[in-house]
Amino acid sequence: MIMSHSTQIHISFPSVLGYEKVARDAVASFAKFVGFDSHRLEDIKTALGEACINAIEHGNLLNADLRVHVLCTYEHNRFLVKVFDQGLKDYNKATKPISIEEKVAGLGTLRGMGLMIITELADESAFFDESDGSSCLQLTWYCDLASKT
Amino acid sequence: MLEDELNVSTRQRDGVAIIDLIGDVTTFAEEKINEAYRQVTSEGARHVLLNFRQNDYINSAGIAILIGIVTEVNRHNQKLAFSGLSQHFQKIFRMVGLAQYADIYQDEDEALQGLMPTAT
Amino acid sequence: MNNDVTRAEQSEKIIELRLPSKLGYERVAMDAASTLANKMGFHRDRVDALKTAIAEAVTNAIEHGNQHNETMKVVVLLTVREGELIISVTDQSDQSIPPEVLARIPKIDEKFTEDDKGGWGIWLIRELMDEVEFKTAPTGGNQIRMVIHLEQ
Repeated sequence: MIMSHSTQIHISFPSVLGYEKVARDAVASFAKFVGFDSHRLEDIKTALGEACINAIEHGNLLNADLRVHVLCTYEHNRFLVKVFDQGLKDYNKATKPISIEEKVAGLGTLRGMGLMIITELADESAFFDESDGSSCLQLTWYCDLASKT
Repeated sequence: MLEDELNVSTRQRDGVAIIDLIGDVTTFAEEKINEAYRQVTSEGARHVLLNFRQNDYINSAGIAILIGIVTEVNRHNQKLAFSGLSQHFQKIFRMVGLAQYADIYQDEDEALQGLMPTAT
Repeated sequence: MNNDVTRAEQSEKIIELRLPSKLGYERVAMDAASTLANKMGFHRDRVDALKTAIAEAVTNAIEHGNQHNETMKVVVLLTVREGELIISVTDQSDQSIPPEVLARIPKIDEKFTEDDKGGWGIWLIRELMDEVEFKTAPTGGNQIRMVIHLEQ
């Protein structure tokens, strides 16, 4: 698929667990349309799902009246996904993640693997604080790169 | 609505307790998976196979539930294995370190061979 | 009945999609709607009906409403209520849809002889959805509002 200039889709949904699945599938549909293979599509879906869950649970503290916004742009082989939340809780500067050995031994929470999964699956990932107080997790995939194994 | 995306059932085959997980494994799966595990354990299961099917969506909250199962399996001296995962979720399971606690097999038959090598 | 309505409104959840006016992007709306409808528990044939209806509505908005101008947006709202899903598709056109177009009932034997073999979209939407309404959106633009009920 050759596109002359950037194209963008925007999805927003309430901060209720389960709705991230709709955003995942909408973005995957866009990613497939611009030419990602099935392995990369799975990476995009899983990473985006984690990013949305972070936004729902941490950024918006599960407040159904607050919305998660997903802005997705494709330009020059670069697939950029930005996930915005209200930044109510800063998960960027969280303490050192708990290892699976510690989790299995019952030392600390079983959760908290989302950011690791995102970092592994996206070609690039970064947090930004927006001037309006919201925060943004930005994920990038390049259409001409292969899936990480 | 928007929650019940997983079917969980249990069965026995060649001395292995198989828990079939059909659908999404997310935060909403916790009760069903833990209940199925408690059931096979109370029936004396020594070998437990989590057999995945049609898993379009497994997330970190779902993986957390599975780590909880690993903790219980270690406590009860059982052996745990996974089968039926797509290539993608096999990759994710390795990524988070689950593979060091349970063998990952392509399918149920291969898992039964691996868990119970003496069975025919 | 009134109580039911109030309760439904309180629990309603809205998903919004903004898409460029370029053919192909209707797939994004189809996939989002089908994921949502599956989660709500709609039967497979109803999900398929919904996908066809939303595809027709979005392509109409892209082709006729926004005249393939990619900088213009098609806005799709998916509103989840107790027992029903409401889908609205809005374009940014300042031209309203002529009433005769909305009322048109295409006939296949006439289409064989007509140059325009199309024109099935609105008719299909009416056939497939439980409620269909055309209006001008508060922000301007043509809006189609479709409702599909969750059968018990």
